[in-house]
Amino acid sequence: MNRPRTWPAHVLLAAGALLMLAPFAWQVVVSLQTLPESLRVPPKFTPSWQWSNFADAFRSVPLARQFLNTVAVSAAVTAGQLLLCSLAAYAFARLRFPGRGAVFLLFLAVLMVPGELFIIPRYEIMQELGWLDTLQALIAPGVFGAFGTFLLRQFFLSLPRELDEAARLDGANPLQIYWHIMLPLVRPGLLALGLLTVMWSWSSLLWPLVVNTDPEMMTLSAGLASLRGQFQTNFPILFAGSVVASLPVIALFVVLQRHLVAGIAFTGSKG
Amino acid sequence: MHSTREWAWGYLLIAPMALGLAVFYLWPIVQTIYLSFTESGVFGGHTWVGTANFTELLGDEETLGALGNTLLYAVLVLAGVPLAIVIAALLNVPGLRGLGLYRTLYFLPVVTMPAAVGLTWRYLFNGDFGAINYLLSEVGIDGPYWVGDPDFAIYAIAVVGVWSTVGYNAVLFLAGLQGIPRPYYEAASIDGAGRLRQFFHITLPLLTPTTFFVIVITMINALQVFDLVFLIIDLKSPALSGSRTIVYLFFEKGFVYNQRGLAAAIAVLLLGLILVLTAIQFRLQKRWVHHE
Amino acid sequence: MRFRLPLAGLLGLTVLTAGCGASAEPAADGKATISYAIWDKNDQAAAEKIIAAFQQANPKVTVKLEITPWEQYWTKLQTAASGGAAPDVFWMNSLNVRLYADGGVIAPLDGSKAAGLPEAVVNGYRHDGKLYALPHNVSIPALWYDKKIFDAAGVAYPTADWTWDDVKAAAKKLTDPAKQQFGILAPMWDQGGFYNTMIQAGGHVLSPDGGKSGFDDPASIQGLEFWTGLIEDKLAPVAEVYTDTDPIQLFQSGKYGMYYGGVWFASTYWADPEMRARVDVAPLPKGPAREAVILLGLANSVSAKSEHPREAAAFAEFVSSDQAQKILSDSGGGALSVRPGTQDGWFAAFPSFHLKETYDASMPHGVPYPATLNTARWQDVQNKLLADAWSGKRPVADVAKEIATRMNEILAEE
Repeated sequence: MNRPRTWPAHVLLAAGALLMLAPFAWQVVVSLQTLPESLRVPPKFTPSWQWSNFADAFRSVPLARQFLNTVAVSAAVTAGQLLLCSLAAYAFARLRFPGRGAVFLLFLAVLMVPGELFIIPRYEIMQELGWLDTLQALIAPGVFGAFGTFLLRQFFLSLPRELDEAARLDGANPLQIYWHIMLPLVRPGLLALGLLTVMWSWSSLLWPLVVNTDPEMMTLSAGLASLRGQFQTNFPILFAGSVVASLPVIALFVVLQRHLVAGIAFTGSKG
Repeated sequence: MHSTREWAWGYLLIAPMALGLAVFYLWPIVQTIYLSFTESGVFGGHTWVGTANFTELLGDEETLGALGNTLLYAVLVLAGVPLAIVIAALLNVPGLRGLGLYRTLYFLPVVTMPAAVGLTWRYLFNGDFGAINYLLSEVGIDGPYWVGDPDFAIYAIAVVGVWSTVGYNAVLFLAGLQGIPRPYYEAASIDGAGRLRQFFHITLPLLTPTTFFVIVITMINALQVFDLVFLIIDLKSPALSGSRTIVYLFFEKGFVYNQRGLAAAIAVLLLGLILVLTAIQFRLQKRWVHHE
Repeated sequence: MRFRLPLAGLLGLTVLTAGCGASAEPAADGKATISYAIWDKNDQAAAEKIIAAFQQANPKVTVKLEITPWEQYWTKLQTAASGGAAPDVFWMNSLNVRLYADGGVIAPLDGSKAAGLPEAVVNGYRHDGKLYALPHNVSIPALWYDKKIFDAAGVAYPTADWTWDDVKAAAKKLTDPAKQQFGILAPMWDQGGFYNTMIQAGGHVLSPDGGKSGFDDPASIQGLEFWTGLIEDKLAPVAEVYTDTDPIQLFQSGKYGMYYGGVWFASTYWADPEMRARVDVAPLPKGPAREAVILLGLANSVSAKSEHPREAAAFAEFVSSDQAQKILSDSGGGALSVRPGTQDGWFAAFPSFHLKETYDASMPHGVPYPATLNTARWQDVQNKLLADAWSGKRPVADVAKEIATRMNEILAEE
């Protein structure tokens, strides 16, 4: 079989990639223009290095603080998800106990329910606890997830049965088996779940918008929304904020994209 | 160790997650359903009103508009699914170099926070200063006020919706394509089938399980769209009537006007809608999804 | 030990749970901490200076400033009020004051402290004969104009004597389709726009007792048609333009001759050196029937459930006092102080803008911003329906009559 030509595919893919990339490039350019420049017809396609937009964005909402909040919340949520999901997933996949199937079905049922159903009662829980405008209000609901449990269970199921049996003969208890033997073997799953969780908690908007109204306690997503409220359609300043807010996850993704993509492909094939 | 000890371990290990899901997921479901039958006072408290919220919503122009907008958005975004198949097929061309680079670029919109994506597109769509209308004017088309006009807003937002999910779907399709055994194609080549014929007679049918999964996920996500719309369309925009989605309405009622009971009823309606449409999908799949 | 891992997670949650519920309680030594909630970040510097001055005079009281953006402010306040935990003192506007007074959230204040403040502003905060908030600033609509565009077209700048006809005549001369330049902006805006013209034409938004809508008054309709006429005559851009780009920023692009804005835009426009030189401000032009300027002032309310009602009331009173009003003025921010005679510092902060002239010419013709118990409800109807008139989908008169009908239904329920 002779090698097929690949250039037609390259042409089409490159054109598409340009469409994907152009809005980002344009955003960066405009973030460095003055307001009147950004309102010019025809548009000015070059930056004029107006760095003060970034200073303005940082000054008008506590962007630095929101950045730290977002990092802290994403880190805590991800760590919590990895631990709690893997524990539960391991138990569902490798241990036998009465009611296992029923409880797992209940977990799956949660996956079917749109997130909006949780918001009002969660809000009231946070209000009762006095947790409105705190970081734990953003973290607490996020560390629990049916999806992560389901995803990791698939990974645990794929490991050979002999592994636990050998360890049990050596006298290890299930927790030791989980930690020493199983967890290292599902690292690809953990990595995929970790990346997905970082991505989701970094971007999520509705819950943070609702529960934390103090700008000092907002995450970047909600911060951008309130920056929009303040600057309306002053796009250079809004874009300066956007660039700062979205860059870290983009960087993380570029470095680790293979693992994330593998994880997503996995959800598709086993879903 | 096939004993109560193993049971105890099992319960112990799922306990933290089960507890959390009970508090933050299961209890809220019950509570929201309860609240959907109540009316909230301006400054706290609520009273039982039976099905009044639902009758109010179903007779309300705004809610029906939001329902229509949301369904239209879902249909438009689903229409973008074939695009993802095409991209995946191109990425799957044997011997293609630079796969990693393409995948990164197509995935950029997926990993960028929707709030930032929304702001960017709002500017691109600007009727006077936006790049899109500028490019259109270069080819002699007088572009509309995409996000300022209720007749166009939801289409514009759907373009962004497709743009920001096509990479995700393409990755799923690529995995599906890679799972199709080579011998199928080789046999078809020997029979003299061209590549286009192979695509329609081998690739598409064998890809249907993935297609089904993508359609269901895309639909469920589309029915819950909020972030993009919220950043592109202001609460006060006249274009809101043509672009308000169900979740946007939920946010307005629940957290702008503090009508929590009404908002809860909207959430319950959304749950019903998703369940019904998903059930229909599962019904239909028997007719077109290829099972080995 | 590996056991600690999951346990530590749970433990962490318990610790987090325990860390809540601390609240201020009255101390025996007379020390008190009160919270002060505002929504405008631009007012932070002035508010901090005012707090410092208050604390100096009342050393035992500490005031904690809380800033919540406008988008979240009312939701947060309503939630806090439901829990009985509203801030001790907080910003109020005349749209919401009756709702909060009726709900028992805010306490009546000493009416005598409002003496000397403009009646059009103070009136907005009276409910059932009692004063529920003390005004601290005033928003005056005003006509901004682009001197560069006026100069280029050889048109004389607006003066205090201008009428609607002068505006239309100037707009015609300033409009230049070839340059995509318009004479004026016509956004659908009540406070700085159509409420003023409705009244200037001899109409009204609400009947004096607040029980009936004035939208179906032919004079009110004339006031609305002033705006839609400008759009129809292509002297102002179409309605969608203002949705796509905020008018405040549109005006900054240098393609629009005039803009009914507010004096409070001064700090925004002054901040941009190029704008500073290019634009200026004049009082709103007279209407066919009368002169009228909608005055909307922000005010401070005191929580009815405050644990320090005396200190809270004292602080609210202080913010409206001569001393604090001068501090506000001198800080040269967005807000203009409301107490007569305290504005010079603010005028001086923007020397090339004709703000003093605008203030002097506007205040005698001030009319209160129309509000009832549930202002937001009928304004919602008003805005949704008017959008059709602005976009040219329906005639103004039809829309105005429908607004009046629906508004009367809402008002009847109050």
